[in-house]
Amino acid sequence: MMDSDQAVAEVAPFRAKRVVAPPVSNAAPDAQYWSIQMSAVSAQRDRASFMRIYDHFAPRLQRYLRNLGVPESMADELVQEALLTLWRKAAMFDPARASLATWLYRVARNLYIDHVRRQPHWLPIQEGLDRIDHVESARLDSQPESSFDQDILKQAIDRLPPVQAKLVRMCYLESKSHSEISAELQMPLGSVKSSLRRAFAKLQVSMRAPR
Amino acid sequence: MTPNHHLDDATVLSYSAGALPAALAVVASVHLERCAACRTRLLDADQIGGVLLQQQRVDTPAEDARAAMLVLLDAEPAVEPPAPPADIVEEHDPDRLPSALHPWFGNSMRALRWRRVAPGVQRILASGIGGGDLMLLRIAPGSKLPLHSHGGNELTMILDGAYDDMLGHFGPGDVADLDGETNHQPVTSPGVPCICVAATDAPLVFSGWVARTLQPLFGF
Repeated sequence: MMDSDQAVAEVAPFRAKRVVAPPVSNAAPDAQYWSIQMSAVSAQRDRASFMRIYDHFAPRLQRYLRNLGVPESMADELVQEALLTLWRKAAMFDPARASLATWLYRVARNLYIDHVRRQPHWLPIQEGLDRIDHVESARLDSQPESSFDQDILKQAIDRLPPVQAKLVRMCYLESKSHSEISAELQMPLGSVKSSLRRAFAKLQVSMRAPR
Repeated sequence: MTPNHHLDDATVLSYSAGALPAALAVVASVHLERCAACRTRLLDADQIGGVLLQQQRVDTPAEDARAAMLVLLDAEPAVEPPAPPADIVEEHDPDRLPSALHPWFGNSMRALRWRRVAPGVQRILASGIGGGDLMLLRIAPGSKLPLHSHGGNELTMILDGAYDDMLGHFGPGDVADLDGETNHQPVTSPGVPCICVAATDAPLVFSGWVARTLQPLFGF
């Protein structure tokens, strides 16, 4: 008798939690959903939550790296490495600072620069910058929530004029330098930079927009 | 001291995208280490990368890849390693070079072995960086550099001393983020030598015949 009562008591709150859990199938999961999965990974080492993150992000990271020209087998390895980093450093994730997508973007970009571009000093430098930010946000404990609406930023990216949109994509998704973009599009270096500046300014406005 | 001259927005975007040539990325890192304002802008740029990552069109992951990931998790230690201590206090040591420069120039200002390249100008060139040139420059106080423009991008950060040009006064921590359209003539402040770290992704182009005869001497 005691046993079955206990079983019920254990199951009930779990069910209650499932009812309020954000829908997974219909709408795209939002930043809050990922933040819940991350706290389960960091606090309970929860593999199911980890695999939810894996299922969503692993193919995206894979596509990102393949677009940068990383050979398939190396891209597979870097995706695993990125997600292992997430598993190991889940406690370092701070949803008030950046979305999980941004956090994973940084991890994958850093692995790309380290392994593919072979800049062996990039990783320690980025870890150093992370530490500085960590110390700073610990000091300013009343830091304003920097959470912004990813959908608004996404819409702002979709609304960029075609040339600016192309330059932003060449920069992020093809990892091309300003000079490379300038040569490829036969566009003066100064114009490449000023277009990127204008695009960045517009996107920053969208990030600061009141929700 | 909070810097007054910052990285260009286009440079921040490129740094975030992992698209900045290696030499320029080193100088940008040195500035980011000491500039909270630029770190905030870098976070903005990273958020753009996060959204672009989200937008990648994809299929569902293969079962064997999922299984391989789970095997890797099994091999991980059960307990998460503790986060690094959050209270590392960097004591200010005027002899210590910024950490992003250590791989290229060591960590001590005093131990640097300068080479004279022109009257009043000494230089140390980093070797093997690939993707542009990275150098330390030590310019005597009160010197006027030849008028020059830049074929490509040039990023300079002051480590010690100061200079003035048409863009303003540049002191420690300030960064001059210039492209081919800027034609400038820095004049170093009196007192102490101006020591800076500079990176280019293309050879500098000097204008004027006097400057042009100086260029081989200058060795840029």
